[in-house]
Formats: sequence, structure tokens, C-alpha cells
Amino acid sequence: MHVTVISPERAVFDGAADAVVAPAFDGQVGILPGHAPFMTLLGKGVLTVRAAGGSAASRFEVAGGFLQVVGDAVRVVADQVQTS
Amino acid sequence: MPKPRELRRRIKSVQSTRKITKTMELVATSKLKRAQDRVVAARPYAASLAEVMADLYSPDLAERFPLLRQPVAGMAGRRVALLLITANRGLCGAFNANLIREARARIEQLEPDAAVDLHLVGKKGVSYFKFTKRPVASQRIDIGDKPTAAHAAELVGPLMQQFETGVLDAVEVVFAQFKSAVSTPATTLRILPITPPRADGRSGARTVSYILKPSAEAILARLLPLYVQNQVYRALVETVAGFYGAQRTAMKNATDNAGDIIELLQRTYNRARQAQITQEIAEIVGGAEALRG
Repeated sequence: MHVTVISPERAVFDGAADAVVAPAFDGQVGILPGHAPFMTLLGKGVLTVRAAGGSAASRFEVAGGFLQVVGDAVRVVADQVQTS
Repeated sequence: MPKPRELRRRIKSVQSTRKITKTMELVATSKLKRAQDRVVAARPYAASLAEVMADLYSPDLAERFPLLRQPVAGMAGRRVALLLITANRGLCGAFNANLIREARARIEQLEPDAAVDLHLVGKKGVSYFKFTKRPVASQRIDIGDKPTAAHAAELVGPLMQQFETGVLDAVEVVFAQFKSAVSTPATTLRILPITPPRADGRSGARTVSYILKPSAEAILARLLPLYVQNQVYRALVETVAGFYGAQRTAMKNATDNAGDIIELLQRTYNRARQAQITQEIAEIVGGAEALRG
């Protein structure tokens, strides 16, 4: 599935991924390919994106914003993003 | 005919001016590039926000959010906040003047039936309104070349609060829209009340039925302020890019003009030098003639 992580200033991550674990407002949510259309607010915490192929995982500190799943695309739009 | 020495001095002075403007042009060009990248980089965020809001928006939800409250037409005693964004520096042609003119025109339009609170960003706007002695609600000059979302939040936060409590009836931003490096028209944008972004090409209803957590209403409540902040952020970024575009153009013109002047002075100088030599020869010949006689 295609994942984009977007901060107000720029797109931080854009690429294919196998899994996303995001800090939603009420706890962690895991998104795997084939997830139903979904939209949730984000809380504060660590966002993990496991790139396709299963090896590298990118981690970001995020706070605020939302996460959206439509079709095969996951979009994380956060107020603050920091690569950690 | 001016003295050759005088001319030489002026040529030198124009040459060093040209050197300065040429350098400024190059610096502006490279900074423009970076500012332009920031404008482009900010687009995905703005687009996602607008898209999601269009997805979630429905007229019945709108009534519950103060940020979407549309003003009652023809109401007396309205209060409008105008946020004017200018550059901190000059040497950019009419860039700042255009922004200030746009703001003044907008104030004049609003003034008859509304009080206008003026909020200023950028030294040029601040010094102009200090000069006209118009009272200013707030001003800041510390936002430089790299505005951040945090800057935008600081600027618009208090305004949003005042709007929600009903102190303000509208908030508008005057900024330089960055159409291209040579076209940066001063623009007025109404950021509050929010004009709901329309889902383009789709008719009202949600295209995808999302699982929404916690609820459409809660998500919208969080996103609306972000949307407003983002509009201000974009205004800031575009104004910076517009400034460097305008500065580059201004400095390019200055460099070209300096070149023209140098050419003209050089020609006058050559002519003066020639005239002097001719005169000297004439004098020598005249002197020799006199001796011989």
C-alpha cells in the first residue's frame, strides 16, 4: 500500500509500505494492506512505517492531525512531525 | 563639457553600484529557489486538509461550529481583523507598496460600516502604518525567510479565539500571491468565517463511507483550526517567495540600468578626453607658430 506522511511544511515520507502503526487519539492503531476506509484523529506519539520488503522501518514523532485510509492509500497528516 | 576626471569618478561609482545590484540579484535568485521549494512542499498538506474537509463537511454540521458561522449581512457594528503581511526588507520594487495599497483599499472598503483591527507582519508594513499614525492591534517583525506552521499558529490563534467568542466578525489576510517569480499580485483572502471547500466534481454526499473515529464532528472540530492556520502559513510562505521574486526583478533592472549609464558615461568620457587632446595639439601648434613668427 502507498503511504504518505505529511507535515505542514513538506511531505516527509512518500512510498510503498507493508504496515503502519500510528498513535491515534485513543491508542495505537495498526494499518495493514486492505484496511477499510478509515479516518481518525492522531494523538501524540511515535508513528512507525514499515517499508515494503519488510526490512527498514521509519519512525516519526508526530502530534496532532489525522490519519486517513482510502483504497490502498494511507495518508498521515500531522501538525508536527519529527524524524526520530 | 564635464571634466574627464569627474566622469571617471562617476563611472567608477556606477560600476560599484552595478556590482552590488548584480550580487543582490544572484542572492535573490538562489533564495527565491528555496522559497519556491517551500511553497511547493506546503501544497500536499493543504490539499489533504481541503480534501478531507470537503469529504466530512455537511451543511447541518456547519451550524454547530463557530468557525463556520457566516456573518449576518448588513449587521451594524461589525468588527473585522485585517492581517497584512509585508516583507522585512526593501529593494524589491513596488512589492511592499502594492501590499500596503491593497490593505488600504480594503480598509477603506470596510471602514464605513465596520471597525478594522490591523495586524501587521513585516517591517515595511509596520513602519508605514507608524508613519500614518494609524492604531495597530498587533505587529511582529521577527518572522524571517523561513516561516513555520508555528508562526502561523501564533498569528492566527488569538484571532480565531476572538472570532469564536464573537468579538470579530471576519478575518482577512492581505498577502502576495505567488503565481510565478514575476507575478506576485497583492491579494486579499478571507480566512474566517471559513468558506467550506467544495468537493470538486462530486455532488455533496461523501464518496467513501469512512469508519470515523471519534466522529465526523470531532474530526472537523480539530481540522477547522488547522485549515485556518494552514491558510495563514501559506500566505506567509508565498509572500516570502514573492518578495524574492520581486527583488530579483528589481535588481536585474537596476543592473541593466547601471550598464546603460556606464555606457553613456564612457562615451562622454571618451569624447571629453578626445576634445582635450585635440585642444592640446591646437595649443602646441599655435605656440610653435607664434615662436616662428
